[in-house]
Amino acid sequence: MKKKSFSILLTALLTFSVMLSACSGGNNSSKEKNDPAPTTNGGDTTAVVVEPEAPTEIKIMLPLNTTDTPPDTIKIELEKLTNTKLTYQFFPADSYEEKLNTSFATGSLPQVTYLKNQATFVQMKESIKDGQFWEIGPYLSEFPNLSKLKPEILNNTKVDGKLYSLYIGRPLARQGIIYRKDWADKLGISAPANLDELYEMAKAFTEQDPDGNGQKDTIGVVDRNELYYGAFKTISAWFGTPNTWGEKDGQLAPEFTFSQYVDTMDFFKKLRDGGYMNQDFAATSKTDAVNMFTSGKAGLYIGGSMQDIDTLNKDLIKNYPDAVLDTHSMVAGPDGKFAQWMIPGYNNVALFPKSAVKDEAELKKILGFFDKMMTPEVANLMFWGIEGTHYTVVDGKAKPGDDKELIEREVKGYKDSVIGEAETNGMYQPYNILPGRIHAEELVLENVKVGVADPTAALDSATYVEKGVELQQIITDATYKYIYGQIDKAGFDKEVESWMSRGGAQIIEEYNAAK
Amino acid sequence: MVEDRSIGGRLFAAFNFTLLAIIALITVLPFIHVVAGSFTTSAELAANKFVLIPKVWSLDAYKFIFSTNTIFKAMGVSIGVTLIGTMVSMLLTALMAYGLARRDLDGRNVVNFLVVFTMLFHGGMIPTFLVVKELGLIDSYWALILPSAISAFNMIILKNFFQNIPEGLEESAKIDGCTDFGILFKIVLPLSMPAIATISLFYAVTYWNNYMNAILYLDDSAKWPIQVLLRQIVVLASGMDHSATLDATNPPPDQTIKMAVIVVATIPILSVYPFMQKHFAKGAMLGSMKG
Amino acid sequence: MQEVTAQPSSAPKLKLKKYKSNSELKKRVWRNKWLYVMLTPGVLYFIIFKYFPMYGLIISFQDYKPYQGILGSDWVGLKHFQRLFTEPDFLNILGNTLILFGLNILIYFPIPIILALMLNELRGTFFKRFFQTLVYIPHFLSWVIIVSISFVMVTMDGGIINELLSYFGFQKVNFLLSPGWFRPMYIIQVIWREAGWGTIIYLASIAAIDPGLYEAARMDGAGRMRQIWHITLPAIRGVIITLFILKIGSVLDLGFEHVYLLLNSMNREVAEIIDTYVYTAGMRQGKFSYSTAIGFFKSIIGLIMVMSVNKLSKKMGEDGVY
Repeated sequence: MKKKSFSILLTALLTFSVMLSACSGGNNSSKEKNDPAPTTNGGDTTAVVVEPEAPTEIKIMLPLNTTDTPPDTIKIELEKLTNTKLTYQFFPADSYEEKLNTSFATGSLPQVTYLKNQATFVQMKESIKDGQFWEIGPYLSEFPNLSKLKPEILNNTKVDGKLYSLYIGRPLARQGIIYRKDWADKLGISAPANLDELYEMAKAFTEQDPDGNGQKDTIGVVDRNELYYGAFKTISAWFGTPNTWGEKDGQLAPEFTFSQYVDTMDFFKKLRDGGYMNQDFAATSKTDAVNMFTSGKAGLYIGGSMQDIDTLNKDLIKNYPDAVLDTHSMVAGPDGKFAQWMIPGYNNVALFPKSAVKDEAELKKILGFFDKMMTPEVANLMFWGIEGTHYTVVDGKAKPGDDKELIEREVKGYKDSVIGEAETNGMYQPYNILPGRIHAEELVLENVKVGVADPTAALDSATYVEKGVELQQIITDATYKYIYGQIDKAGFDKEVESWMSRGGAQIIEEYNAAK
Repeated sequence: MVEDRSIGGRLFAAFNFTLLAIIALITVLPFIHVVAGSFTTSAELAANKFVLIPKVWSLDAYKFIFSTNTIFKAMGVSIGVTLIGTMVSMLLTALMAYGLARRDLDGRNVVNFLVVFTMLFHGGMIPTFLVVKELGLIDSYWALILPSAISAFNMIILKNFFQNIPEGLEESAKIDGCTDFGILFKIVLPLSMPAIATISLFYAVTYWNNYMNAILYLDDSAKWPIQVLLRQIVVLASGMDHSATLDATNPPPDQTIKMAVIVVATIPILSVYPFMQKHFAKGAMLGSMKG
Repeated sequence: MQEVTAQPSSAPKLKLKKYKSNSELKKRVWRNKWLYVMLTPGVLYFIIFKYFPMYGLIISFQDYKPYQGILGSDWVGLKHFQRLFTEPDFLNILGNTLILFGLNILIYFPIPIILALMLNELRGTFFKRFFQTLVYIPHFLSWVIIVSISFVMVTMDGGIINELLSYFGFQKVNFLLSPGWFRPMYIIQVIWREAGWGTIIYLASIAAIDPGLYEAARMDGAGRMRQIWHITLPAIRGVIITLFILKIGSVLDLGFEHVYLLLNSMNREVAEIIDTYVYTAGMRQGKFSYSTAIGFFKSIIGLIMVMSVNKLSKKMGEDGVY
């Protein structure tokens, strides 16, 4: 039928070009017979290996976070290990939401649908509640490896107390400072133990010519146009601000109603006014921020994942071979206490649409595939690649091979789809060489000990789903304006008031009711 | 153009030339920066932000993007879709525009209005997707062509050009026994080469630059045109995705790779224009026939 | 040939004009049968790919849920339109949109015309083609690239322009974060990217001008400027008006991506336009109905504008676009 309607169209076109030969013709340049071979999706032609059980066919849709769709190298191994026939459909992360929405609305989602991030998951919740996806909670116990998944993180991904998804795990608190240790050493400063020292460090990096070129051309902190994943949220946690929501008089209240939030804004205002951070940070993209750091213009990169140190170091030493980086995250607040904000432990989830997964038996087969994915052998294959080709094992840890391009091309695309985390799926931890990175891994574990979770992660608010994003915009704008000195505390309070009256009050109510 | 050898004319020409040279320089500098950036190292690009002539030359970015055949394949798809798409579009557009250009056609105003209407009102992505799906075009290259086969804008412009052709020519052709098809192909089109060249260029560029159709309608990434790759790399490398997370597992591609892909994906379509330009001179024919 | 359309057919009515007799109409239609055949594929295209999907617009009167489908979702009447009009920032956003649109019409629109005239006056085919090609290049750089290149040039943190300003003893200017600079930056970038590309269509219509006309004017002693004024401009007037009307129709389509990339917390008061608002309030929260309703509102404004301008141009004796 697919073919038929198409050929009708084509015939119509052809008939048309025939009619053109009126008036002796010779002039018509219609070449549409030359069509670019309209191929219908024939699927792969991998030879079917004779095995007791026919391989399960699974179609998987996921966002593409690399430059290009990976070749089948990993997929072929994966199919062998899991007795499946897989079709991976990668779509550019940038327009993934459009693809997801269109496919969903037209009933064309494949059996396994990865979302893009937590935000898309929040968007999907309504449809999940409506029963468009399989509830997998009851089946989990049948799969030994899947039942290893961390209950507290599973809890964060539940909708109305039921589990519908498998999560892709991420360390809870990787954020901190990456800084120029060579500059600090030269100026005789040690890693900042508290916020005052952090401020002093930024000031010294700006004023005391840490790169020794005789010019005052460096700054302390480089930040970007992000309150959440930039420096702001991390520093606000150090000030003692709750993570997005906090308890106040026994009631949940948003972070920006806490005095510590205002202290954080004051801190940034002081940094920017003094010239100790990039003046245009509210308009600086991540790439531009990273560029300022790797081109030796800034000394402190705050708020990103400390594991980024490898990438930053790689680019920085191209420009300054003697540069040394280190990581740091234990910065005490004014009360001398440590605190780190934590993400809900996942960065994405996979769902199983009922429109594609027809029955329980099929669902179980698919879950079986994910169960196998959570064995060290398969998880390593997807995360690190093929041993000997893409990585080697040193001291029980994975050391990526020298051919970075090969890894980038063949493995990276699959990395973000591995269910669980190293603790649960048993894949290798990375073998690190850079001292700053080794330090970062220790700090990531330390961070969790003083971690602060978002108390609303597993709670529901209809109003938040409805207009949380645009309401948050009000606060984000007000925060920047305060830091840039365009509004004062009274002006900020007015914006918070506006947040309340436009739906924020309802969100507070709904979260407290759901608690 | 006719030469004017008076002093005023020369001054005018000199002034005009200088001004245009400045404008051309301003417009082309950032592109030179992109080309230069593709031939240098990421370190130099970070240190010296607005590189125009690289101090350190490097072909690494090109080695990287040409190390697999993906880009060649994508380029092939883009060229094929652009060529065939432009032909299909030109055929459909010219037929429609010619019909609507004839002032003696009853109902033309209604059709014209309905065409303009589609420029203002859109059904949206989902219903359009369903149409494409029902026609069985998912995963077919035709899905990159048919849904945008006629641009209302281009059709109206072409119609405008056709309307300027003196009707006397058509009358005399009719007397010679040509049908309307004959008139269009033997008389109107040859007389409208500047317009045909322009509109073909518009179509070619639209087909070349389109990536959304491919993402929506092609599930098989092996069929993607080059713009999808280009966009993917540019967005990743620019770090402008506002839904950014603090993910460390995916460091962005090098800036030099971004620049190299821009160069590779842009040069083919850029080089179309100079070939079109020679048709702009042929419009002269129209005048001579009129006289 | 003018008689047929002489009485401007104000708003298109879906019935044909009255003719003396039906048979006359039939005869004319039959005589033009091949023209109708020519129209058929185009009309089919518009029906299949443009008109058929328009049923999607009805979701602006529903609370559309993807899983309930367009026919199964609940009807809510004008709820989404009400929400839009009562949004506290609505007037501000509409105003911002109209101002950017005004800049497009007043500042950007004439530039390709002037540039095309200048290019046309160049002596020698080589330079003409060479410059044409150069000025049209920027069109092929995406907004992401253009915005990031401008960032590098104008940032206060070491951007070339601010470095120069401070070198010559001026105060640094916060181009990126001040509401005052958003509109100039926007329109300069639009001009930079699109002006050269925009000349193509004018150059094509200039190419169609009879060289004999210039010859004759020169005989009469007309200089360059007078030739432009009396021959070139009148000859391309039709194209200018057509493009103008079509541009008016896109009144509220100002290039989402471009504005979104320039938008930040500090310039939102002037930079938030309808398209960026749709993105934050609608798309990013999966609010299909609300987004569609806003799109619908935009379309209606566009339609009103096009119809008025078209009518005006017909009154002035021009063709109009329909």
